[in-house]
Amino acid sequence: MEFKDNIPIYLQIEQYLYRKIALGELKAGEKIPSVRKLALELTVNVNTVQRALQQMNDRGILYTKRGEGNFVTEDTELINQTKQDLIDNELENFVQSMEKLGAEGDSLVSILDDYLRRRGKEDE
Amino acid sequence: MSDNVLAIKDLSYKKNQKTILHDVNLNLDQGKIVALLGENGAGKTTLMRIIAGVAKNYKGEVEVDGTTKEADRKAKLSFTDGLSGFSDSIKIQEVVDFYINIFNDFDENEFEELRKFMKLDPEMKLSQLSRGMREKLIIALTFSRKADLYLLDEPFGGIDAMARKKIINSIIMWKDEKATILISDHFVNEISTLLDEVVVVKNDTILEHKTADEIRENHKSIEEYYEGLYEDDDE
Repeated sequence: MEFKDNIPIYLQIEQYLYRKIALGELKAGEKIPSVRKLALELTVNVNTVQRALQQMNDRGILYTKRGEGNFVTEDTELINQTKQDLIDNELENFVQSMEKLGAEGDSLVSILDDYLRRRGKEDE
Repeated sequence: MSDNVLAIKDLSYKKNQKTILHDVNLNLDQGKIVALLGENGAGKTTLMRIIAGVAKNYKGEVEVDGTTKEADRKAKLSFTDGLSGFSDSIKIQEVVDFYINIFNDFDENEFEELRKFMKLDPEMKLSQLSRGMREKLIIALTFSRKADLYLLDEPFGGIDAMARKKIINSIIMWKDEKATILISDHFVNEISTLLDEVVVVKNDTILEHKTADEIRENHKSIEEYYEGLYEDDDE
């Protein structure tokens, strides 16, 4: 995992874990790796991992069992919402760059539609 | 009682009538990893040596864990002054024996773990060590003490990427929750993801002290921030 150095690291750790949850690499109810293990894996400070996990606990996507560590929520609604947020986030980035290239609204839809058709053919 | 592990008030230091440091004020909290950044010759090493009680005859106050006395300070912090007091012909094991004798808080088992992790042979002489191995030994010795403040003076100078990775991992693995580590460097990239705070030394004093998050929340990388503070000097 490469971090961008101009965005707070704890936010990037959150994003990294949200993605793992959304992709099902970390499943509902599963225990996530220990703070120190995550810190080593990501080459970051233990404090920074703790801050990220604290925020995720506050949002309910993780919960803490005393003495056992952090677990992914079993609330599938919330996990689906997390996935939707990631998709929205990616789409927002995409739409913003396309708008800079002059593709907006309906024309963006037809450009995307056309692209997907061509891409489908290439794959055949 | 404050949580400050280090408190420096109005510190100044002269050597041969030349000002090396002036008006230095610095407070560090428990449990942080802090970079001490500045160009070569900016006074980083001198500041570390003063904190450690090695450099004397300074003005002002240096408090570690609530105590200003040099001998007490030395007991509460761990600093390995470049192994400068040891002859090159002695073995790693002999250095370790010396540490065991001198420091009550030196944990032999911990050193064994670190030594294995760093792949150091206790029978090797100091003269046989590469730059990277020497730094690894310094780190292993420094972390084997149980202290509240660890001072690492340019641990990454002139060492290869693998040795650097080992040292960084040892910092993550062996740091106690409440211990604070101050790491000096003139280049920040290699440790930037580790940092809680950044202290910049320039013009013989501490120019700025910020949290890493503060810097990044302004969409700057720590490197950009640090270079920005030195930028005007190039002309």
